[in-house]
Order: sequence, then C-alpha cells, then structure tokens
Amino acid sequence: MECDKIAKDFASILDELTCNSKPIISTLTKMAEENIGCAQQMVDAIERRIERCVPNQKLYAFYVLDSICKNAGSPYTIYFSRNLAQLYKRTYLIVDNQTRSDLIKMFKTWLMPSSSSMGDHLFGKEALDAIERFLVKASALHQKHVAAPTVPGLLREIDKLSLLTRERAAQNPHDAKLKTKVVVLQQLKQELQREKMPPQALQQVQMQLRQIFAQEQQVLQQQHQQQQLQHQHQQQRLPRKALSTPPPQAPGATPAPRESEPVSLFGTPSLSSSFFPNASNIQPPTSEPSQKASKVQALYDTLRAEGLVKPVPQQSVVTLDRILSQNHKESAQTTLPPLNLLKDILGDVQSHFSTVGVDILNTPNLQLCQQTVIQDNPTVMQLRHLLYRYKPNKCSTCGKRFGSSEEEKKQERDHLDWHFRINKRIKGTAGANGATAKNIQSRNWYLDDTQWQRFNDEEIVSTTRSETDSVTLANLDASTASSSFSTSKFDAKSAPEKTEADLAKKYVTVPETHEDMSFQCPICREVQSAVYNDDIGEWIWPNCIQSQGKYFHSTCFHEAVEETPQQALNQGLERLKGLAG
Amino acid sequence: MASLPGLNDSLHPADLGVDLNEPKHVSITAGSEWRVDVPQESKLTIKVHSGVAEIFGTELASDVPYVFQGTKFAVYAVEDAEFEWTSPELTSHSISSDTNMKFIYNVHFALEKLRVSSFEGPRVLIVGESCTGKTSLAKTLCAYAIKFKAHQPMMVNLNPQECIYSPPGCLTATPISDVIDVSSSTWGQSMTSGATKLHNKQPIVKSFGLEQISENKERYVSTFQQLANAVRGRVQNDSTVRRSGLIIDTPPLGQLSDDFSELKEIIYQFKVNAVVVCAKDDTLALKLNEHLPVETLAIVRLPTSSGVVQTDDVYKRALQRNAIREYFYGDFNTVLSPYTIGVDSDMITVWQPKSVLVQSDSQDDLLPVEINASNLQHALVAISYASRRSSSEEVSASPILGFALIMDVNDTKRKLRVLLPVPGLLPDKAMILTAYRYLE
Repeated sequence: MECDKIAKDFASILDELTCNSKPIISTLTKMAEENIGCAQQMVDAIERRIERCVPNQKLYAFYVLDSICKNAGSPYTIYFSRNLAQLYKRTYLIVDNQTRSDLIKMFKTWLMPSSSSMGDHLFGKEALDAIERFLVKASALHQKHVAAPTVPGLLREIDKLSLLTRERAAQNPHDAKLKTKVVVLQQLKQELQREKMPPQALQQVQMQLRQIFAQEQQVLQQQHQQQQLQHQHQQQRLPRKALSTPPPQAPGATPAPRESEPVSLFGTPSLSSSFFPNASNIQPPTSEPSQKASKVQALYDTLRAEGLVKPVPQQSVVTLDRILSQNHKESAQTTLPPLNLLKDILGDVQSHFSTVGVDILNTPNLQLCQQTVIQDNPTVMQLRHLLYRYKPNKCSTCGKRFGSSEEEKKQERDHLDWHFRINKRIKGTAGANGATAKNIQSRNWYLDDTQWQRFNDEEIVSTTRSETDSVTLANLDASTASSSFSTSKFDAKSAPEKTEADLAKKYVTVPETHEDMSFQCPICREVQSAVYNDDIGEWIWPNCIQSQGKYFHSTCFHEAVEETPQQALNQGLERLKGLAG
Repeated sequence: MASLPGLNDSLHPADLGVDLNEPKHVSITAGSEWRVDVPQESKLTIKVHSGVAEIFGTELASDVPYVFQGTKFAVYAVEDAEFEWTSPELTSHSISSDTNMKFIYNVHFALEKLRVSSFEGPRVLIVGESCTGKTSLAKTLCAYAIKFKAHQPMMVNLNPQECIYSPPGCLTATPISDVIDVSSSTWGQSMTSGATKLHNKQPIVKSFGLEQISENKERYVSTFQQLANAVRGRVQNDSTVRRSGLIIDTPPLGQLSDDFSELKEIIYQFKVNAVVVCAKDDTLALKLNEHLPVETLAIVRLPTSSGVVQTDDVYKRALQRNAIREYFYGDFNTVLSPYTIGVDSDMITVWQPKSVLVQSDSQDDLLPVEINASNLQHALVAISYASRRSSSEEVSASPILGFALIMDVNDTKRKLRVLLPVPGLLPDKAMILTAYRYLE
C-alpha cells in the first residue's frame, strides 16, 4: 500500500516534468534510489509517461530513466531493459531532429561500460543492440535526406542520366529533344567540373537532375509496360485460336499485369520515392508514347471485360515466379530471433513437459541401493530437469533459479533487490557527511557451540532483512551469556559500558494486551516481529526495551540516548516520546 | 592442447593476462565436461554465453565472469553450452564425455526422495581412498540439494587437510543455506562483518591442529565427537537442516585404522544411515559390508569419474595456504581487513596437541608450548573460548573462536606481533598451536 502511495507521488512529480528541469529529475532519481521496493511501479510510471506525454517532453522523461539507471542501477536497469528498445524506437520516430540527436547522445552514454554495473553495460545487451541496429538504419535514412550534394556525386548522377537518355535516344533516333538533353547534360557536367559552385547551387542542380531522372524513369516504365502488353497479346492470341470456348477462369487468380521493375538511381526501388519527394507532383510528359500506352491499356481492359484476354493462369510460370519472388522477399525480411533464445525456449518447454505432475515421493526406482545407483534410469533423466529449467528464471548475477509461481516470483524479486543492495554496499555508499562509506569488513569470530546450535541460517539468507537488523555475533564472554538475559529494563546510567551485542540481547516479553505480535521501533521505523524463546518459553521481542509505555529497539534507544549529554538525558527521553507519538 | 595459440606464450606477465589474451571459445555438448588445471600463479576467467553449465553442481550465471586461481575443476554441460575463457597460461585442459554424472544424479534423487519422505533427512557418509572424488561428490550433492526445494544440507568435513569454510587442520560442519561460491577453493566465505557478493555461511569449527590424523588418532576421534555433539544440537533445533540431512566427507581411508574403528565411530556419532563408497571397483564396498552395521546402513558404490585428478602434496599445500590467506584477507571478491597487534609474550598461553612425532610422557591431549620464535614464528594458532588460565582439559573441550597468525616473535624483547581476523584486543583466551605455518 505504501508502494502505491510512493508510486502515485512519483507519477505526479513526473507529470510536472514539462521542461528539462534538473531539480525534478534529481528528486525523482532520489525517490527511485530510496524506494527500491517500488521499483516496478516507478518503472511503469516512467514508461507510461514516455508513451503518453507530448513528443517534445518525452526526452525529459527519458532523462529521468537515464538518471535513475545510472545512479540507482539494478533492479531499474533490469526492469527498463525489457521495453527499452521499443520505447526508444517509438519515441525516436515521433520527435524532432534536435530531440533525436539528444536521444542519440544519451544512447551513446549507455554504451559506455558503467561503473555502477561492474563494468557491464547499463542495460541488457539485447536492448542496446536492438536500439543500435535501429539507429544505424534510421540515421542512414536521415543522412540521405539531408546530405549536401557533392560534386562527384552529382557527376555520377549525370553520367547515369546521360546513359539512360542515350539509350532512349538510340531507340528513338528521331527524337530531337533527347539529343539536346544529352548535350545539355554533357555541358552541365563540364560546368560542374570546371567551376566551384556554392552548396545551394549544387542542391538546385541536384533537384533538377532528379526531376529529369524521374521523368525519364516514367517514360521508361511506360515503354516497358507497353512492351509487356504487346507480348501478352501475342502469347494469348495463339491459344485463343485453338480453343472454341473461352477457358474457365482459375478461381481467385487475379489478373494483374506484372509490375515492371523501376530503374532507380540509388539502389532499392522502394527507397527512391523517399528520395524524390517531388516525384509525385511531376506530371507525366504528354508525349506520344504515353498516349499510346493509355490507349493500349484501355484496349486491354475492354478485351478483359469481354473475356477475350485470358488472365495469367495459376499454373503458369509467370504466376509461379511472382509467388516465388514474393516469398523470397518475405523470408529475407523475417529475421529469426537468436538461436540461443530459441534453444532456451525449447529447453524450458521440454523440461516443463517432463516435470509436469512429477512427484519424487511417488516415483518408483529411487531407493538408495546399488542397483538404482548404477542403472540407466529414464525417470532420473526426467527428474534432472527439476534442478534446472523446471525453474525457468535464472538470476543473472549468481545463477540461482526461480520458478514461475507467484511465491517464487516474489522470492526472485526479493533476491534481485538483495543483490542490488549488496552491490551498493560493496561499492560503498555516500554517507550524509559526503564521505564515502567503504565496505570495510573483516572475518567474524566463530560462534560457540550453544550459539551455533541456536543459530538459524534464515538470518543469513533472508533477502528481506535490513542492514540494521541485529546479527548473531560470537559472544566472547560466554560465561555471562545466561545472566545478561535476566534484565530487560533499560538502565541509562550503566549503559555506556554495554557493548552493542549486550544491548541486542535485551528483550521484552510480548505483553498479552498487545494485539499484534510486532512493534514498530519509533526511532528506526523498523517493524520487529516476535520470536519464540525456548529458554523462557515465551514469545519475546528481541533487541527491545520498554520506556514510558513505548517499545524501542534497545540498540536504537541506546544510540539515541548516548548522543544526548547525560544532563540532557531527560530532554532526550522527551524527544523520543515525541517520536513515538 | 598445447598447440592452442597463446598457450605457450610466456612473455605476458600473469597479472596483465586478462588484457593481453584474447578470449577463447569452447562449446561442450550436453553430458561432457571441460576439465581444467589452473596453476597457482595463473588465473582463469570463464564466461558462459549459452546453455546450462555447472561446476560441481552449482550452475553458472550467464555472461558473468568467474575467476579461478590455483585450482583443478571441471565445467559440466547439462545442456550444450558455449563459453569463453581467458587465461595467460593454462597448462592443461580437455573435454571428456566420460563422467560419472549419471550415477551422481541417481544418488541425488534417491537422497531427495528420502528428504521429502521423512522429517529426518538422509545422513550420508562419503568414503574412499585418496583421489577418488569424495569432496567433489560432497560438493555436488550439497549444490543439488538446495536447488529444487529450500533444503539446507549440513556439510560435515572430517578431513582436516581439506579446507571447507575454514583454514586447514579443522573439522567443520556448515549448513549449506545458499549457493556455493564456485570460484573459492574453500567453497565460499564464512561469516564476515560486511557485505559479500554471495550469502556467507556459518560453520562450526573444531581444530584438530595436526597435519596427519595418524599423529594422534585419539585427538582426531575426540575432535569429531565434539563436532558431532554440536551437530546433534543444531539438527535438533533446526528443522530445515534436520529434514535436509547431513553430507559427510571423510579423510582418505588410508589415513584411518584398518579395522574401520574411526568410521564406525563416525557412523555412530553422526547417526549415519547411508554410505557412498567412491571406488573404481566393488572391493572396498564389499569389505565395508562385512565390517559396518549394515542393518541400519545402505551402502552403495559410486563409480569413479575418469576426471579425478591425482593431487600431490604441493597442490594440497597451496590450497591450504590459500585457505589461511582467505581466512584473514578474503579473496578478490571480498577483501577483508585483518588487524595486527603487538603483545607481550607473557600475555598469551599456547597449547599444542600431542603428536606421536614429538616425544612426551604427559597423559594430557594438549601440552603447554613455550613462547619463543622457534615454536611460534609464522604459526597459525586456534583461539579457544576457554580463558587463558583454563586447564588442558578445559581448553581441549572448548569451542573455537577463530584463528590468529603469529607474524613475528622477538625473543629478546619478549614481544609478538599477532594477526587477528577481527579488529580489537587480543581475546584473553587460551590458544592451540596448529601444524600450519604461513609466511606472507
């Protein structure tokens, strides 16, 4: 519930981020750092914000994402990695060029190995790779749009154009226009080679060239179509003579004249339209061939309507070729996910099916005897999956596996959070006074037999413990161990000599009037639950003292009291009471 | 193998190796293992790219570098696995599909069935001659036991020459409550005061203190009896450990008496109900069937893997040295800060376990040690919970607080410099000299 509130606050601050405001971004980052427990909600909030806000504000939300990941690191980096590529791509596509270059700048910083994630990249490699691939494509397009024309480039275009025009001129030797065109092109080429032109002029030249080229292309296309039609006519005339009745139309076969491949200056035909933004505005030259073509087209349409022209039948080589070429294009476009991912999925599925409904208890042939140990046991080969993919979610830090049940998922989240906290502690955290508290540590003394026998490893492996929870430390003064259990009343005057271990041993028996089994320490705000003490046969709150009807962690209380000078002790107690209220 | 590029290239200093060496790629098919020997002065980094690979039962995380030094081990491919490795000078590595993993899985699931069918988990004793894969088996079984259910098997090490969560010379018992650290030759860290990458373990440690069991078999027996007492209490209190059972690793049989008297005592003390014999053939298993109380025991033989390595004394010494260094200074993942103090030589009391190698008429197990350089220089000493003025018996029966290293003894000034794992005063406790020396 607390999380919801934090997430709500977070989202409302996020909504205020309508300009590139450093304070807001750092506030949000700080919130994220302090409330790792709510990481998922905050990640959702940011993703939502990026998706929904107006394009010119999306960048700032991205800056929040960036800042949180760089400062707080995991688990945010992990959570964000999931949708990062999609989010980035979608944003990139709808923002203006300035924002795009800012986005790219930010992306470049992600590629640097970050210090927070131990030399690894900030986000998952897959996400970064996807973005990079996308950017490579996008910027390639981008560059072609804006690239200033260069003299050699223009020369090449002229050459191509001259070639096309000459070709056409050879076909229509009577066309004087074409001849002049060739000459003009030649002159233009010489001009370009001789003089240095300002960029604007070059751009103009390029524009004109492209217009001419587009026209040229259109003419060529029409000629091509015309030829094809004639060809078809010739083909179809022959069988029609032999048949007395029109052949039945193949159902579903749509008669479509094969599109001629347009010739393009710049490689792929599909791109050419984007390079010639004006191409659609160019009116086709009303020259003779085009009129002829439209007449032919009209003729073809009438013939088809009369059923005189046979559409290309399904079994024909033409159809087959069309289908093949289509298929070919499609298969080239679909890129399969990486092989490893497919293998992983396959493995998970396999292990799921071989372990479904398995119960070790009811599995025969599992008794510990020589025969079972040395035999080839197919059941064991199935059970093996229980050690691996039966739990499909593998921790990326330590390799520990987690299942997909709700409970296990929660464990996994806690586990990831734990790694995160530990990594942060190992790195050392900046303290309140600005100095970095390094993770300086040493070996602990071993526990004595009694302590060890009472110890429970839950104290070590629990991922939900906080740093301030008491830890079992060796009690060097073993002989006095039992006597220190007898006092539970805090005596401030004898306190200075007490060690923290002694303080931690103080406890309060859970009062019968208390309705729940835990108390919240008013100082550290930790909730301490009761534990059962075997020795006295009572539920107790460990590391607890009672003062003026309030319950405190004895270590916290002691610390708070110690900070206050002796004479101001009472004042301190008043202050604590205030806290408790 | 020696012809792989870069392998014989000794121009690169070892510590720069990671940068200087191109990572090499290996793919192993499911069911095979990649066996490798990393020399003491060398370093090996492994990064799994795809598939499922494990080291002695502990699965490796993907794309995380694991660093190894001075160790021999195998990466087993559960599924086809690809990984890269980097090492400046790796003496030998090979891929083999001839493993005994199939049998280990059989043993594990038989044990797992016992764990789920009773509140008292199986108590498995692993026996065998030296270099038959006992400790590797123990490690693998522990690693598997924690994977499916939240079990916490108690790993009991009765071989004082092995260092499992402790320096050498100890018998230990450790609940395996989380992932074993595959990079560490001591299986991981015992408790420290700060943050460590993996969860630490909390062992109980009994110091045998001598190098060879045969030097004082009575002391060996009484040491594991003390350990068994502690374990009994823990198992009684801790239902998770109780349900998960014990996995007990033993010294090579050759170091014990021929009449199996110590084994019988171990079986009695730890209430062992299953014995796994690591041996190439059935001879030993048959012999144990004759001598051990088979009515309460299941005795099975596990065929030895072709991958077991013949370890020599030099290798064992190196591991023991590493374990001492790790105890005080930690490893490259976890740096610990020990603490050096100066003490007057009349401020400490040191005892020494009786050994057949040292002539003595005393009936006591522990003999007083004179504080001088020849006795104590560079020595590893166990600090007991017993106070300095306790008697020999009291010290003998006392738990162990930890270890200290006598860095320097100045006989003329009557002063010592002592390295303590924990900052603070030297505990006013009796110490027990071990046979181990460590010079930095």
